[in-house]
Amino acid sequence: MSISARFRRAVPTLVLASVVASLATAIPPAAAATPTPQEQVEAREKLMKTMGGGMKALTQFLKGEAGGPAEVKKAASDIAGVAAHDPMGVFPKGTALGVGDSAAKPALWDNWPKATGLWGDLKTASATLVQAADRGDKAAVAAATQAVGKVCQSCHEEFRQKKD
Amino acid sequence: MVLRRQSLPWMCLPVWLALAGAVQAQTPPAPAAPDGAVERGRYVFQAAGCLGCHTDEKGGGAPLAGGRALVTPFGTFHTPNITPDPTHGIGRWSEEAFIRAFRQGEGADGKSLFPAFPYPSYTRIRDDDLRDLRAYLMAQPPVATPNRPHDLTPPFGWRFLLPVWQALYLEPGPLADDPARPPDWNRGRYLVEALGHCGECHTPRDWLGGPDTGRAYAGTAAGPDGDKVPNITPAKKGIGGWSESDIALFLEMGMLPDGDFAGGAMAEVIRNSTSRLTADDRRAIVVYLKSLPPMD
Repeated sequence: MSISARFRRAVPTLVLASVVASLATAIPPAAAATPTPQEQVEAREKLMKTMGGGMKALTQFLKGEAGGPAEVKKAASDIAGVAAHDPMGVFPKGTALGVGDSAAKPALWDNWPKATGLWGDLKTASATLVQAADRGDKAAVAAATQAVGKVCQSCHEEFRQKKD
Repeated sequence: MVLRRQSLPWMCLPVWLALAGAVQAQTPPAPAAPDGAVERGRYVFQAAGCLGCHTDEKGGGAPLAGGRALVTPFGTFHTPNITPDPTHGIGRWSEEAFIRAFRQGEGADGKSLFPAFPYPSYTRIRDDDLRDLRAYLMAQPPVATPNRPHDLTPPFGWRFLLPVWQALYLEPGPLADDPARPPDWNRGRYLVEALGHCGECHTPRDWLGGPDTGRAYAGTAAGPDGDKVPNITPAKKGIGGWSESDIALFLEMGMLPDGDFAGGAMAEVIRNSTSRLTADDRRAIVVYLKSLPPMD
């Protein structure tokens, strides 16, 4: 068999392999191996910690304690990165209080339209924050940080049960 | 029956006031309050955090029309209507009766009030602030929502025992400034101890529901809605590691030093009360909290 014929026969396999490879990268690893509810809670807490870290960096900058434009941009994009998640994936059913370290009240799922509304507010506020950070507009960063914080607070007031 | 006898003159007086109010309502829209009293009263109202408990926000109730259920270890309290409605609200309460409710824990009918209305703290509010607060409340729209009776566990529901409780735990009187301390400390103490009534949640209670003053502001596991209430003294287990600006920012927007955000009852306090204070008042609160004896 000539080399070209061998190559021709191999093409479909190569195509299939690349399709499989691209599919594998398109699906986040978490979904590939269906995570346990405990793992979903852990993943959520990681996201919340990322947002918290961003908020901490922003307020430290605004208080003049630490950080500059680079830290502000990173914090803004971290928060916007979390907000880009689908709330359904962040708060899958079956991850309320009692599952692992979950602090999410069942009310979150009972009042899902309100919860997703707040997540939408988070998306809007963090997009504004990213723009303000890119412009280097301190007053706008302050206002957007406040707006993001308001969403954090509203959601926690309604749906988070602090345990310790 | 001493209380009953005392209540008689007060039951007659409010009729006069209600009539006077009705006549006035037809002429100028402004209430009969000294200049600026309503505006000052709004600030007192916010600092004292009246809105949250007296509004059934989740049930879609009108502001200040009461009806919110407060679940406590002593039973469930249903907060009353404090709009100026003459029948269901406080429209017929005289200024004297209003002040007495805060100072002595006594309703306009002369009966003792349950300390779910935090008068052990509110008794420390000064007369001028109480007058302004009343002026503000009387300027709000009346709502004819009837009050619901409380649903309490015996013996806590026995109103006739309340004077005994008051004798044990109520120290009536406005809070006097301590001349040995700077003005911001005094202002902070007034905001924390009187208006903000912070100790009502942050100080643990004994078995009779009185404050355990030896553990003031040390927090408790049995907070409202089953939440744990944190220690807010400058101790290791409290907020000793928080900088002054950490505390001020928390009171302004609810953010903890690690970037987390308060939830539950404190988020509501921040939304309705501490975020609406002036920055100077928030700083005064910080000064006072930092001066508390640390409780570990």
